[in-house]
Amino acid sequence: MMTKHENLNEKWDVQLRKGSLELVILAALKNRTLYGLEVLKLLHSFETMKITEGTLYPLLDRLKRDGLVSAVWQQEGETRPRKYYQLTKQGEQKLDIVTKRWRQSVKDVEFLIQNPGPKSIQLKGE
Amino acid sequence: MSEHDPIHYYLKSLSKYLSRLEKTEANEVIREIESHILDALELQQQNGQKEDVDAILSGFGEPRKLANQYVEHLLQGTPPPTGFKAIQTVKKGATKSLYYGMGLFGFAISALLILVGIGKLFYPEYIGVWSAAQGNSVTITFSEHIYPNSDELLGYWLTPIAVGFGGGITWLTRSVLRVLKQNIH
Repeated sequence: MMTKHENLNEKWDVQLRKGSLELVILAALKNRTLYGLEVLKLLHSFETMKITEGTLYPLLDRLKRDGLVSAVWQQEGETRPRKYYQLTKQGEQKLDIVTKRWRQSVKDVEFLIQNPGPKSIQLKGE
Repeated sequence: MSEHDPIHYYLKSLSKYLSRLEKTEANEVIREIESHILDALELQQQNGQKEDVDAILSGFGEPRKLANQYVEHLLQGTPPPTGFKAIQTVKKGATKSLYYGMGLFGFAISALLILVGIGKLFYPEYIGVWSAAQGNSVTITFSEHIYPNSDELLGYWLTPIAVGFGGGITWLTRSVLRVLKQNIH
């Protein structure tokens, strides 16, 4: 029974991530400069954001192509070179816009959950 | 170093599937993923875990599928600049010779048009657009002899029209070259 529950959770997470992952990455990089493994470790510290390497890197590549993040290779001391990502101005703007939409969505969904039938909801504009 | 063989094999396979990308782009992808794998292995060591290359590689998925995600934008095409849809296809195979060939072709045609336009002012008798064979064909001449059985079209209007088209083609060529240049390394 427990496994079925977990399975459902995971399916839900995957579905939700499809639309929200870009926001998640942009938010993770807000005022931070991180390389891929650091982004991955950061996301894995959250219950619902355990994405794979195979999802993360192509997405970072696309965000870079879209001009939302920039990337530079850096080498510190004896460590191997790493590719560090940060938000561009355009990325910050997009994060602001998408954040507002996200909050609106959460508010709307939450409202519906809080107001089950049979009582009717007063619709806007009526 | 035998435990690193699977990494080598994986990256080699990935590199093969990334061949649609520009060489430098593909190399950068490989370099980043290699750096990640080696970092992740070190992390496992530091955490006192057993090195598990397979677990790390499975996070990246099959090389072919991973590569597809890097390449698919080339196949679908990011939105092209207005009016340059065909360039999306062409620029995938953009090479230096295409770039210079395109430049030579475009600039030569526009130079020729502009020369014809200006030439008309100095040699109005020799240069012109003529309707020949009872209007069945149109010909541009640079000839001492007027094209037989023909009527001249345009007259001095040829000058602004030819110079205008020449300028337009120069602009078009430069725009196309700019797009192509981004894809040549």
